Amino acid sequence: MRALVPLFMALAAHPLHTTLTQLAYRDADRSVEVTIRVFADDFRAVLARDVTDSAAAAYLRSTLTLTDRSGRPLAVVWCGMKRTGDLLWLCLRAPAPQGMRGLRVRVALLFDRYDDQINIVQAILEGRRVALLFTRGDASKPLDAPRRSG
Amino acid sequence: MSELAAYVTLGFRHITDLEAMDHILFLLALAAIYRPRDWRDSLWVVTAFTVGHSVTLALAVTGALVLPTRVIEFLIPITIVATCLENLVVRDRQRALWGGRYRPVFAGVFGLVHGAGFANYLRSLFVDQIALPLFGFNLGIELGQLVVLALAAGVLAVVDRAFALATVRPGGAVLRLRVIAVSSFVALIAARWAMERSPF
Repeated sequence: MRALVPLFMALAAHPLHTTLTQLAYRDADRSVEVTIRVFADDFRAVLARDVTDSAAAAYLRSTLTLTDRSGRPLAVVWCGMKRTGDLLWLCLRAPAPQGMRGLRVRVALLFDRYDDQINIVQAILEGRRVALLFTRGDASKPLDAPRRSG
Repeated sequence: MSELAAYVTLGFRHITDLEAMDHILFLLALAAIYRPRDWRDSLWVVTAFTVGHSVTLALAVTGALVLPTRVIEFLIPITIVATCLENLVVRDRQRALWGGRYRPVFAGVFGLVHGAGFANYLRSLFVDQIALPLFGFNLGIELGQLVVLALAAGVLAVVDRAFALATVRPGGAVLRLRVIAVSSFVALIAARWAMERSPF
């Protein structure tokens, strides 16, 4: 019994660990704009240093992948960040001349920090809102519109 | 996956995660007094908790209610201790207030407290699109709670069996032993959390 108490103490904190990534297609330059919302304290902890543009971009390159239909990684460029309250908004852009359908996505942010991290991805594909969820160990997933029945 | 399914999954995983021990222990304390044939009562209590939870989450997330996180973090284990004490003190539920049917009400009130726990978090993240995430998250929490409740029923059945084997007393006494054992155990852990999180 006494041995169990420290175990439960360790498990007592019960926060949510989530990020939200939105993909939007820019017709003007036929690119995908990726906006990632992450809590600033989580992000600072995982970078283990001040959140600079170069540190943030490097971390995203290692944890967020976008590949085209044939499996080639898209050339992702950093387009800045802003902060509102506790939240950081990180921006990436990648050329996608064939549109967003069939792109494969993987968002592994903070998996190296929290076991229960869940990353949500939202996109609008051909007028329909779709979502993907990523948990630790997930491979990339295709961006497809949900079936009509679902 | 549809967006709704994503948020339902988020709520479901949040509750069924082993790290959600405060929530799981609270459900165990709520369920501790019920026998298998009382399953409807335990469903009412858990659903009332979700309703309370949803109400505050909606109020807090939409900014209608602002609650200090530190106070909420402290009140959550207090509600768990209170549930355990109620389990221990009320021996004859037929003769208790409203024939013992007040439990869904207090579960609902305690749900109000628990819902405030992550309202700030959800509000920050989904600042511009809160309705669907909120609805899906709560639906997922309710489904997750039903799963936890089913597992709790299994754990309680094992505890009953152990007491039945260890004593020669009839069934009613075994239920009382179980209520005392489970409630004391959960109350002890929650009391430690309350002390750790005390803002005073």
